[in-house]
Amino acid sequence: MTSVKQSSHFPIKWRLLDAAERVAALVWPRQLHSYTGYLLLVPALLLVFVLVIGLIYIGGYSLHELDLANYRLKESFSLTNYYTAVTSTTYRTVVLRSLYGSFLVTVITIFLAFPYAYLMVRAREAMTRKFLLISLFLPFFIGQIVRAYGWLIILGKEGLLNNIVTFFGFSPLELIYNYPAVILGLIQYMLPFAVLLLAPAITAINRDMELASESLGAHWIQTFIHIVLPMAKPGLIGSSVVVFTLTLTDFAMPEILGGGTTDFIANSIYDGFFQLSNSGLGAALSMILVTLGTAFVVVIFSIAGTGTLGFSRRSK
Amino acid sequence: MENSPPLVELIDVSKRFGRFIAVDNANFSLAKGSVLTILGPSGCGKTTLLRMIAGFESPTSGEIRINGEPVQAVPPYRRSIGMVFQNLALFPHMTAGENVTYPLKMRRFPPQDIPELVERYLGIVRLTGMKDRRIHELSGGQQQRVAIARALSFNPDLLLLDEPLSALDKKLREEMQLEFRRIQQKIGVTTINVTHDQREALVMSDEIIVMADGAIQQSADPVSLYRHPSNMFVASFIGLTSLVKGTVVQTEGTTVEFNVDSTILCGNAGSRFEVGQSVEGAIRAEQVRIHPEQTRPEEMDNVLEGVVSEQIFEGDRMVYQVQCPSLGSTPIFVFDHDPTHHVLHRKGDSVVLSWNVRDLLVYPCR
Repeated sequence: MTSVKQSSHFPIKWRLLDAAERVAALVWPRQLHSYTGYLLLVPALLLVFVLVIGLIYIGGYSLHELDLANYRLKESFSLTNYYTAVTSTTYRTVVLRSLYGSFLVTVITIFLAFPYAYLMVRAREAMTRKFLLISLFLPFFIGQIVRAYGWLIILGKEGLLNNIVTFFGFSPLELIYNYPAVILGLIQYMLPFAVLLLAPAITAINRDMELASESLGAHWIQTFIHIVLPMAKPGLIGSSVVVFTLTLTDFAMPEILGGGTTDFIANSIYDGFFQLSNSGLGAALSMILVTLGTAFVVVIFSIAGTGTLGFSRRSK
Repeated sequence: MENSPPLVELIDVSKRFGRFIAVDNANFSLAKGSVLTILGPSGCGKTTLLRMIAGFESPTSGEIRINGEPVQAVPPYRRSIGMVFQNLALFPHMTAGENVTYPLKMRRFPPQDIPELVERYLGIVRLTGMKDRRIHELSGGQQQRVAIARALSFNPDLLLLDEPLSALDKKLREEMQLEFRRIQQKIGVTTINVTHDQREALVMSDEIIVMADGAIQQSADPVSLYRHPSNMFVASFIGLTSLVKGTVVQTEGTTVEFNVDSTILCGNAGSRFEVGQSVEGAIRAEQVRIHPEQTRPEEMDNVLEGVVSEQIFEGDRMVYQVQCPSLGSTPIFVFDHDPTHHVLHRKGDSVVLSWNVRDLLVYPCR
């Protein structure tokens, strides 16, 4: 490059920037500039690397059986922990309960989130859109555990709802420490995630598409089924994957709203490590959870594509 | 034809969005089988008018009738109207054929007739064999054709075009204008076209409505609209027109003399004027003759001396912008008529301009 003529007339800011540029050129020469983008990947790679290391360690633990004589893991390798996890009816129930729960939560959440997202995108009044967005985000700021306790206040034995029920002379209902309570808590927790992943997909559908469909003879239900749903597919995939995997790995809701009666896999892992002091079994359960989650994501992505999570370039 | 009721009729139709008046008291009727173009600049209310006819918006006041029936309570999907959108709004997750099939299925055509109708309409728009193409695999012009076929396949009473050609390049746009004309004449469907392109309006329509600021300015066939614009807006919006402002000094029949800067011009008045009234004169670029300095044009009513300030070569013609000292700073635009023996007037050349009284149209100042 031609050398820039030095001028003391330049503002001090320019000269400082020029100096900074020269220093930067020494540290990171021009020839390396085409790799600058990759440099930005380093923090993310470090983070993933730490996770992978953790996963390898957990994988290692899972292959050692607990020695009941001294409550340490044996030196020898074995698949005993996996055998225990797979054959035990308790753990099988927990895994099936988690999968079924995740499926239920995903379906109901998407069902509730879609109209919400649609309204949030399409509402004519800016006020309506803002109201919907704020009411979506408000619970988002409150931690999951606080929200779970919020449900306890509402649904508990002496809770708001039961106060009303007993006021009218009925006996109080068992509204918490059961499966429906966990599902309810999870749905409320997942709703904002689903709406936020659906909204861009619905925004991407030009309003004229729906008007065109109407002018071609379709009423709104037909338009919804034939035009809006297929065109919102990327958002549906994205939000389903996120909601399903988050629910499958959830700990707080089953713990607090289930009260130990409806453990999900994460609760069993916790128990394995800290109640039974059997880190080998806990690790094996962790590996099973990771495998299940990954398998689900891989299957969905290979069947339906990556949706809004893939940032695919060929978008119409 | 004259006796049958109009297919579309608008009676005192207005549309307000809050304080903004998008359409102001529109009245017109459209006979079956004709092509109407609503022409106007962006934001003049033409698209709102079209959307009210389609049923996407409802008028704030007034009544829209289709086939003599008021349609306020009829939802879009019950109206027999095909619409081609500005962005076409083709369904990207369907093939060309499926797009054309969609209205036939939604409108419950007998399933056994559908494949034949799809073939027929794809044939009409010359897309035979393109049935299984995805929308993104088609070119811009082909997508236009699919949109037209989709809007026509269910044999609607009325076809609405919302500037579908505006996104195309000039050559393709002009090609599609003629194509539209051909298809319209073949099928005979009543059409309302909305555009800001005056050429498109002149080429495609039996009748043109010019709109500005929500109000209809003039409604006429293309030739009378061009020859006899009813007001200043229409005169200046269509064609390349030079405008001169002045004050009336004398009127005699339809001829009006008005004072502009340091000269007096003779013009053709559409309405009565008082002496002393402020007026605007409009002269089309093709009505002005341009001559070299030394010649004196004969049998011309207005003769002015001027200097060429711009010379624009447009390929098929030369456009001059001439500054006449006697008119002040207002430039006059001239199309050169003489392609056979081009007399080139260069920038800075002194020239003589002339035109006939009947071609200088005089309107009251707005």
